[in-house]
Amino acid sequence: MKTKHIQILGILLSTIFALFIAFLYATEPRSLEELTRKAGTAVGDALTKGQVITGTYEVDPAKFSQGLMLFRAGDFPGARSSFEAADPEKRDAATQFYIAYSFYRQGWGRFSNDDELFRKGIESATRAKELNAGLVSPDQDLKLKTPAALLNELEEGVRITADDFNPMRALEERK
Amino acid sequence: MKELEPQTVDSEIVLNEDGAISTLRPAALAPTDIERRRAVLYSIVLPLALLLVTLLGGIRFSSGSIVYVKPALIYLIFGVGLMILFFVANLIRFDGWISERFDLTKNFINAITLLALFAASVQIFNSVIPESGIPFWIVSFCFLWTLWNNLFSNFDTKRLLRSLAAMFSLAFVVKYVILANLARPADQGWLDALINNPGQAAATWLLDILQFSAATGYLQFFTIAIFVIALWFFPNSTED
Repeated sequence: MKTKHIQILGILLSTIFALFIAFLYATEPRSLEELTRKAGTAVGDALTKGQVITGTYEVDPAKFSQGLMLFRAGDFPGARSSFEAADPEKRDAATQFYIAYSFYRQGWGRFSNDDELFRKGIESATRAKELNAGLVSPDQDLKLKTPAALLNELEEGVRITADDFNPMRALEERK
Repeated sequence: MKELEPQTVDSEIVLNEDGAISTLRPAALAPTDIERRRAVLYSIVLPLALLLVTLLGGIRFSSGSIVYVKPALIYLIFGVGLMILFFVANLIRFDGWISERFDLTKNFINAITLLALFAASVQIFNSVIPESGIPFWIVSFCFLWTLWNNLFSNFDTKRLLRSLAAMFSLAFVVKYVILANLARPADQGWLDALINNPGQAAATWLLDILQFSAATGYLQFFTIAIFVIALWFFPNSTED
């Protein structure tokens, strides 16, 4: 082995070891099992980031379908968890739209809305609108078909207006 | 008479000038072999050993789990002070490590080794200085005093190494032998400690000593040993 090859090997080994040390101190795994789990997560994140950079990023269809099934069954927290797993990079407008819708449906109340959930919904709906402003959902179950309509409904929900005190509001249906 | 070729190696029987049988030194190696071994030491063993010190210097064990202690800002200052000391005492000659005479790969691996030495120095301070409380400030002040004095002393390389080995071993004894025995055991509750060992409980509270498992001391002992050995093999120049 030539001296130059040894030096190149040294550079590679030192770089890998230094990255490993940085990873350990950044993630602070408490045991070997946690180390394996965190390394798996880090590799998964790196792969997703790589897909984003190379333009091959796609939503996981199985997790998206699972999220949709839970959404229709009314399990909104469960649905969000699946949608977030399907789109970890938050780059798919349809998935973000469903996440926002799940916040809307969970937070909606006949007499008052859950402002915290609505605010989270506003974040997701804004993201969906930024990703694809022209998105029109083909889902027949949803009455609000576009991110803009959903965003408007969520913003109206957190705003206190005279209309909020109208007793006829109790007759309104969830969209 | 058979003439020796420049590349001839190992124990070969030859005749000397008087015609008598003579053997070469058994360990005599060809220049290429020496160069290769030196390259392995300088480019692989030293940087990896120093990075190992960097990794281990911040690791502690507590109640069956691993704790990663990140270095305090003052350790970076101590690390810089120690590096200056290395240069002043001629343990490292900068132009013998980074130079326009060397090719790119050699400069690159040498820069990595110097960075690893700095990181290991920082982590060694992290290893031997108590993490918090009055002991942290006292030991830190002692290190600052020693480093500051050493910067203006006439050191040769061996004296510096002896001084560093003594300084780190003393700090190790203070932290992992004296203070560790003053602190109540990590697995002992406050009430139990107050009833059975009120002195230790009081010292732990007053000195704000963090308790770690005994394995931490063993690990840090070997970490300091690796650091001192790596320094011993650290050449002041990588020039051929």
